[in-house]
This record gives sequence, C-alpha cells and structure tokens, in this order.
Amino acid sequence: MSTQIQEESEEATETETETAPVERESPGDRRREAKRTASDQRVASEPVGEIEGDTFRLKVFRYDPEVEGKMEPRFDDFTVPREKGMTVLDALIYARDHYDTTLTFRHSCRQAVCGSDAFFINGRQRLGCQTQISDLDGPVRVEPLPHQDVVKDLVVDMEHFYDQMHAVEPFFQGDTPDGDLEEQRQSRENREKIKMSTRCIWCGACMSSCNIAAGDNEYLGPAAINKAYRFAMDDREEDELKEHRMKILDQEHGVWRCQTQFSCTNVCPKDIPLTEHIQELKREAVKQNLKFW
Amino acid sequence: MAERYSSFRSGSRSWLFQRVTAAFLVVVLAFHFFLLHFVNHASEVTFAGTSARMEQWGYLLTMVLFLLTATFHGVNGVYAALLNQGLTGTKKRAVKGVLAIAGLALAAQGTYVALVMSGVM
Amino acid sequence: MSQSYNRGLVEDFGRWREFTAGMWAWILHKFTGWVLVGYLFTHIAVLSTALPASNAASGVIAAETDVYTTTLQGLESLALVRVLEVGLLAVAVFHILNGVRLLFVDLGVGLEAQDKSFYASLVVTAAIVLASVPTFLEGVF
Ligand code: HEM
Ligand code: SF4
Ligand code: FES
Repeated sequence: MSTQIQEESEEATETETETAPVERESPGDRRREAKRTASDQRVASEPVGEIEGDTFRLKVFRYDPEVEGKMEPRFDDFTVPREKGMTVLDALIYARDHYDTTLTFRHSCRQAVCGSDAFFINGRQRLGCQTQISDLDGPVRVEPLPHQDVVKDLVVDMEHFYDQMHAVEPFFQGDTPDGDLEEQRQSRENREKIKMSTRCIWCGACMSSCNIAAGDNEYLGPAAINKAYRFAMDDREEDELKEHRMKILDQEHGVWRCQTQFSCTNVCPKDIPLTEHIQELKREAVKQNLKFW
Repeated sequence: MAERYSSFRSGSRSWLFQRVTAAFLVVVLAFHFFLLHFVNHASEVTFAGTSARMEQWGYLLTMVLFLLTATFHGVNGVYAALLNQGLTGTKKRAVKGVLAIAGLALAAQGTYVALVMSGVM
Repeated sequence: MSQSYNRGLVEDFGRWREFTAGMWAWILHKFTGWVLVGYLFTHIAVLSTALPASNAASGVIAAETDVYTTTLQGLESLALVRVLEVGLLAVAVFHILNGVRLLFVDLGVGLEAQDKSFYASLVVTAAIVLASVPTFLEGVF
C-alpha cells in the first residue's frame, strides 16, 4: 500500500482545500491520512540530492508483430542518467529519444490526468508519469499492463476496458430542470459522497490488477463499477434511474464477482476507494432486492 | 452495449445466503470441533455415544441445520469460484446441475444418517 | 492491429511474489473452502457406516464392535489420519477467521485494516493449531 507516495502528499494538500468542513471521516480518508503521514516522514528523512549524478538500468518489454526481430517478446536494457525528480515516463522518453526511436508507449499529459501511461512497473500497475525513479529499486522494469493483449511494446489493447466502461452508461441522465436559468443543484454532502469516485482517469490499472476480471470476461471490473457508483449515488438523478443503474450492477457478472482482494484499491493512481464503493453497491443491491421480496 | 445485459439475473440472493450461512457456520463449526475433539475425543467416539447425543432433539436439529447450511455454503462457494474463472453458457449450466445434484444427494444422505443415529428411523 | 500478444497465465500465478495481503487471503480462503467441502463429502461417507451399525444387536453396540465404532476408531488409530486432522483444524480455523474478516469487509467495516486483519487471522490460526496439537495427537505416537 505504500509506493507512489511523493505525488500523494501534493495531491493531499489539494484535496484538503476542497474538502467541505461538514465531512464525516470515511475509512478511505483514514487510509489516505495514514499514507500521507508515512510519506511525510519518509520525505523528511531522505537525503536530498543523492539521486543526482549516476545512472540506472531501465528494462523495457519489447514486442512488435510486424518487425522481424521483435516478434518474440523480449526485454531491452537502457542506461539512463538519473535526474532529480525523474519519473518512469521521463526515463522512457529519454530512452526513446536517445537510443531507440521505435520504443512505443502512450503518454500525453505527464501529470496523472489523461490516464494513458499506466504500465506494469516493478511488479505493480502504476502511472509512468506519477512514479518517481527514486522510489523504485533498480533495475526499473517496465512492462505493458497485464491481462490485456499487447499491441506493440508497452501499448495494450484497451478496447475491452472501454466496452465495460460504456456498459454502465457513464454519463449523467437526470432530468434537466425547467426554466432556462435554473441550476442543477447538488448538496454538499452528496458531492462529498461521490467525490472520490469522480476522479477516475480511465487508466485501466485497476482492471489490469484484478484477476477476476482477467478470468471472467463479462465482469464489469472495478473502474466501470466505480463509474456506475458515481452516478447511482448522485442524488440529482431520479430514483428510477438509480434502479436502472442498480439493475446493471446487480447481475451475476456485475458487482457480485468482486472477491474483495483489494488489488484495484491498492493500485489506483487516483486513490479511489474502489473496494469500498463496490461493497457499498453490493449492500445497496441486497437492500433493494429485499424490498421486493 | 445495453443488449449484452438484457438477460437479467440477479446475483444478490446467492451472495447474501453465502454470507448468512457463513455467519451461522462460524458458531456451529467451532462448536462441532470443540465438542468432538476436546470435550469428547475423536478417538473415543462410539456408536452408542453418537446415538446418545443425537437423541437430544436440540442437538439433532443443530446438526441437520449444520449439514444443510454447510452443504449450501460449500457447493455455492464452489459454483461462485467457477463463475469467477469465467464459466459461461452450456458448461455453466452443466456444472450448476452437477453441483445441485451432488449437494442434494449429500444433504439427503446426511440427514438420513443423522435420523438413523438418533433412532428416529 | 492485426496481431497482439497474449501473455497467458504467467501473468497471474507466475507473479506470486508480488501478491498483496488481500490476494493471499483470497487464495487461502478459496483453498481452505475447497478442502472443507471435500472433507464434508468424505465425512458423511464415513459416518454412513452408522446405517449398518444401527441394525447390529445391542450387545455388539455395547461391546463397541459395530462397524461404525470400529471404522472410526480404526481411522483414529492411524497416525496419518491424526496428522491430517491437525491439517483440517488449521484449514477450518483459518477459513472461520478469514471468513469473519470477509464478513466485516462485506459490511464495510474496517476496510483500511484489511491487510492487518488477514495477518491477524494467520497468527491466530497458527496459535490455535499449535495449542491443539497435543490433544489431537494424543495416544498415537
Ligand atoms: C465456519 C464458518 C465459515 C465461514 C465464516 C465461512 C465464510 C465464507 C465466506 C465469507 C465465503 C465467501 C468468500 C467469497 O465469496 O469471497 C466462503 C467461501 C467458501 N466457503 Fe466458507 N465459511 C465457513 C465454513 C465453511 C464450510 C464448513 C465449508 C465447507 C463445506 C465452506 C466452504 C466454502 C467454499 C467452498 C467457499 C468458496 C471458496 C471459493 O471462493 O472458492 N465454508 N466462506
Ligand atoms: S479507478 Fe483508478 S485505476 Fe481504475 S481506471 Fe480509474 S483511475 Fe485508473
Ligand atoms: S501521461 Fe497522462 S496520466 Fe501519465
């Protein structure tokens, strides 16, 4: 539960300012609080500047079905100079620009917003742009996300992930209020409730970490369920809509396949309490069904 | 996308029963182990001793309930585990049938044995 | 995108070194669950010797030479069976403790301590099993 700490402390300060004062402390809050304290302590005790100067080894998974020499998957080693504040994405870019222009990976925002650079880094799903080299033991090993077909090098096929996301109708469907100038208001409490669930950046790290999603292709997966949570719990949508959303989630391959392994919660770069949300939806579904019996 | 989910089947019932039986089993399984390994030693079990216990209605009822809930919980757990592996279609229905038959057979045989032990049958 | 590379099962169990607490808990719960169902079937099969035994003359039952009593005591006299019983105890205790942990997780209680509660299940299981070894192995060795 403890890596990718550096960014979290920044993020955390940001969260604090947007937090409403009335908020009740949730388990997720406590978990993040613990993480934050641990990271503060570590950052404080770390020698500054030590990482500068030398180089480290970057091992990258290579595969390309269209190039003779790369049809057999393999790892390539690159020697990359360490720089202060260097992320895994920076290192990949360095390797591509200095050694091999065919090295392929997706990236865009470089600030954990677009969700395009989730990789399997040193045995764990992480965002390349959010992972500090100084937080990793060398050699740094970068692979494409597990449980997704590799298209080329670090690029995986995200089609199935997007299908699952779309299956839960990931858009607001509440009635628009009458009157042109009427606003669609949400209570502070309700906004707080769904706050964490709105942070998803569709990176697919959670889905890749889930071995149930890997075995059962129909399972919606953590990201899609969290997306559904975001709307099902939004009070601005009418009750019938919530019922409709619960119906999608309450299938055999919906929330019920979650085995509470916490893998998704552990890897989510946006710290979304995925397991907590899935569990809440399970209880919600049980309650709804008990009403009908 | 929606049509993929048209064949609606709720999974909440088996999920809930799995937890409810679990809560019951915690107590009974612990009791069972304790009674037959610590209070009475397993190596000293005799038919006469077993019948004497089973002749008490409360004990008989508990044991039969133990059997029924454990059978449901166990068989349903195995089924859930197979669903997690992505079992679908005909195979899924076949597995469900086999598990249901095995479960019912076990419950029937076990109940019969318990009743015989208690002298009712 | 005509081809792609599927890395297969290596992705799961080949990576066991990287598993986290929740994953280990799931694997062990599954394993212990399967052992328990397996045992339940065998258990009822063995206890079914009570059917012929119930027809035995009352003298036979009193002398403890009916099939049920001889089968059970015969099994209990084997050291292997006794050792397996300790294994069964371990399996049952872990399944119970982790089962309780899972029930709490389902209720949304203590999610932030789910890894610690798993380690606690392991430690308590070990303690209970070790403390029970003398009782379970009494008289066979
Ligand atoms: C005594 C207390 C028990 C408790 C608290 C308990 C608890 C649980 C829980 C909560 C699950 C659900 C796991 C999940 O779906 O995520 C489960 C699964 C299971 N249980 Fe139990 N159980 C108990 C006894 C038993 C017994 C007596 C049996 C055997 C007959 C058994 C066999 C199973 C099996 C086969 C599974 C499915 C494992 C899998 O996912 O592959 N359990 N148990
Ligand atoms: S829930 Fe977290 S891990 Fe999953 S896709 Fe969204 S941001 Fe990525
Ligand atoms: S590059 Fe956008 S999330 Fe990392």
